[in-house]
Amino acid sequence: MSLLNWLLHRRQREEELDEEVQVHLRMAAEEHVEQGETAEQARTSAIREFGNATLVKEVTRDMWRFRWLESWLQDLRYGLRQLKRNPGFTTVSIVTLALGIGANTLVFSVVNALVLRQLPVEKPERLVFLQTKGGGISHSFPNYRELRDRNYAFAGLAGYRISPMSLEVGGGANHVWGYLATGNYFDVLGVAPAFGRFFHQEDDRLPAASPFAVLSFDCWQRRFGGDPKIIGATIRINRLSYTVLGVAPRGFHGTELFYWPEVWVPMMMQPLIEAGNPWLDARTTFNTWVIGRLKPNVSPAQAEANLNLIAADLAREYPSANKGLLFKLARPGLVGDALRGPVKAFTTGVLGLAILVLLTACANLASLLMTRAADREREIALRIALGSGRGRVARQLLTETFLLSLAAATAGYGLAVLLSRLLSAWHAPIDFPVQFDVTPDGRVFLFAFAVSVLAGLLFGVGPAHHAARGNPNAVLKESPKGRSSGRRLALRDTLVALEVALCFVLISGCLLSLRGLQHALTMPLGFQPRGVAVVGFDLGIAGYSEEQGRNFQRRALEAVEHLPGVRSVACSNSLPLSTDQSYSGIYPEDQPDLSVSDVHNAVYYQISPGFFATMGTRLIAGRDLNWHDSHNTPPVAVINLAFSKQILHTDSPIGKRFHYGHAGPLVEVVGMVEDGKYWALTESPQPVVFKPILQSYNSTTLLLVRSSTAEAQMVPPIRKAIAELDPELPLYSTGSLEQMMGFAFFPTRTAAVSLSAFGVLAIMLAATGIYGVVSHAVSRRVKEIGIRMALGARPAQVLRLVLARMGALLAAGAALGLILALAGGQVLASIVYLVSPRDPLVLAAVTATVFILGLASCWRPARRATKVDPMVALRCE
Amino acid sequence: MKPKRERYQNRIELLQGTLDMLILQTLQWGPQHGYGISQSIRGRSGEVLQVETGSLYPALHRLEKQGWVASQWKQTESNQRAKFYRLTVVGKKQLLSEQTRWAQIVNAVAGIMSPQS
Repeated sequence: MSLLNWLLHRRQREEELDEEVQVHLRMAAEEHVEQGETAEQARTSAIREFGNATLVKEVTRDMWRFRWLESWLQDLRYGLRQLKRNPGFTTVSIVTLALGIGANTLVFSVVNALVLRQLPVEKPERLVFLQTKGGGISHSFPNYRELRDRNYAFAGLAGYRISPMSLEVGGGANHVWGYLATGNYFDVLGVAPAFGRFFHQEDDRLPAASPFAVLSFDCWQRRFGGDPKIIGATIRINRLSYTVLGVAPRGFHGTELFYWPEVWVPMMMQPLIEAGNPWLDARTTFNTWVIGRLKPNVSPAQAEANLNLIAADLAREYPSANKGLLFKLARPGLVGDALRGPVKAFTTGVLGLAILVLLTACANLASLLMTRAADREREIALRIALGSGRGRVARQLLTETFLLSLAAATAGYGLAVLLSRLLSAWHAPIDFPVQFDVTPDGRVFLFAFAVSVLAGLLFGVGPAHHAARGNPNAVLKESPKGRSSGRRLALRDTLVALEVALCFVLISGCLLSLRGLQHALTMPLGFQPRGVAVVGFDLGIAGYSEEQGRNFQRRALEAVEHLPGVRSVACSNSLPLSTDQSYSGIYPEDQPDLSVSDVHNAVYYQISPGFFATMGTRLIAGRDLNWHDSHNTPPVAVINLAFSKQILHTDSPIGKRFHYGHAGPLVEVVGMVEDGKYWALTESPQPVVFKPILQSYNSTTLLLVRSSTAEAQMVPPIRKAIAELDPELPLYSTGSLEQMMGFAFFPTRTAAVSLSAFGVLAIMLAATGIYGVVSHAVSRRVKEIGIRMALGARPAQVLRLVLARMGALLAAGAALGLILALAGGQVLASIVYLVSPRDPLVLAAVTATVFILGLASCWRPARRATKVDPMVALRCE
Repeated sequence: MKPKRERYQNRIELLQGTLDMLILQTLQWGPQHGYGISQSIRGRSGEVLQVETGSLYPALHRLEKQGWVASQWKQTESNQRAKFYRLTVVGKKQLLSEQTRWAQIVNAVAGIMSPQS
């Protein structure tokens, strides 16, 4: 009999079996009537002789096919009925588990998107990103050319650089972000255009001779309305004409997972895109990121060896630039290891904590289920006594738990999908186009499914086994042996203690992250961010020459200075703690021949006079830069304390001199300011040098205005003032200084948000868990409490009776949690920056929280215990 | 009036294989319904073998699943509807092999139980 047959004829078969039994009974009755009994007697005799009709039918059914399927469907139906009958329990369980599964799914989809996902190109596992051994991520363009031409291991090596540009669409100029990419970029990646074509190696031969552009799909849709006539049309980038060759496919965002550019331009156009700063032939400017595709049978180790052979040659041929050069390969997508390392540590740490939340939810549910099973003791005992195997009972309980976990998984997955959509749509609070696509794919779905099955097993097996183990005889006779009390609570107790321990770890994570956030927000940055408005523009991409640019900067400063409410203005090429930091190698006067590996790199800023006053940075020695420091006067600079200590090895650097780079002119130190944070909040003091803009021009200009007006209200007058000078200059990075630094606070903020969410979840779960257990314990012992009170026990003694066990469990759980938190300190440290995970203040606070939580959860049931009326308790059951 | 039957006394536990063989043998003489089969076995064994319904019906359904018998709803002599079982071709073959085996077992047991050597 096939499965289909079986499905269609189930009812018919049941009816036939019934009828067969009836026929037998009737014939037997007829026989008895023939022997002289009355009809009534005959029927009774026939029934008696037949035996237990239900049992006969049951055994007969066992002979049929697909019996297992039948009984499994029966379990399902029964389970659904049971769950529907207890809507409160069902809802609480599903919600609890859904939150746990949802949290895990969401975190895993982030892990999937950032750490596991490959670039959307052909055979992405053959792509590698080139780094230097010391962790440097960029290379000089001449080095890139040598590597490209001399290697044996790569099918192709492409170079690229993140580059802001000014794109004119519909009459107005917009500040957009794009890539400068070598001609073979798209070929190395193995991508096919959605429309038109890409540029190739032959299009990228001579400098400034290939005015082509490739648009991203989103850019084409958003800015050009998806017009197919864009292919071959001319667009203006940085006030020059470029021909659009094609459009990249949807979902292709270049070679970094988090950066979504709008346009690709051949690398040879660099001198025009970054006007005033051509570096294609500069051996000491390291601005190019390199990605390569390995040849089919070459391993990464072999490729690395090949590259290092070339590196040795390069070090010999150009020692000043390439001394000590060594290469390392990394996976592409997150700027090699620079970003991948911290991202991996962070996300897996958070995933670990999410799993802890799930475990807490499972412990909670297991406890709840055991409570419910204890309530169904009579029903189960009856079924076992009537002949159901223990295995069958356990299987039926397990089916119920799987129904719960499946429902919870569906709800949790839906929640995760929703939240991940929101997360993908979120745009980082800076001008730089950072975006992540964390929508779940097949892998995430499998993960959610696996998690729900495991969760179901985890919290279902224990109670099912426990319930089926009971002694039906004792239960039905209601003897004290059959009641679960005293020793029998062992498993449930462990669950509660475990929950408390997990809750401890999660709460400590939460409090640590909050402390880290507080730390981050109040730490000395070396400047006062509040009260400063920022407006940025790039004169180079707007077509200004150096002379014109300098002029404009001066005039802009003067224009803004006279706005009402303004206390001080300045401009700079970049801001501390923003994503754009530049370094320069420093050679002290007495050490002009340092090798590349020994030289110190200092972050540099090209500032106008008044910068320190505007930023609120303290001048420790010497003087600020002023407008007399121009290109006619000797080069000067202001340094910070770390520069003075680490590079010049002195406490009084005023008057000391150094070179920028190996062959630069001598620069004199005229002032020293306090240390601050420049690259990240977690850095140790690093050297910084401030160059005057009249001696060191940069077309990227960030106008900083400190005023008594609120930053948001300050921006429009500034824009107006700039617009009066040049109405077509595109402005970007407008807002408050605090907003510009948003990216630096991003990890700490994310940690605080997610860990707080986990902490809150953990508290809710633990509270309900403890409440449930104590409540149930009290209701079970109502009779006993009634007797004790009737015999004269005082409320305090009753309380002690009820709470003694819970108190011991809380202490045990807290102790275990403390050990876990200390042991897992490493994991926590990778998530919670700036704070040591062994902070005693935090640990004390967590212990206190856990105890208060425990006591608060016990409060109501304990009070209920003391209010027991002995008469009522003894009478009813 | 037939003599009153004795209460069920000698209930001999029949091995599953033996019961199958008895049912197949009974059906050799034509299709029969469940009640009829139990009566037949009882009668032909001289009231010694009284098959429990709890063994008979599971056996019948099992035999049907294995394809040795086939069932059909027909009218009895007294015009009632009943489920008749009949022997199939495969069932007949099975019966023959079981008969052979039974003869072997009987001889073997007799050899042990006989008073001579």
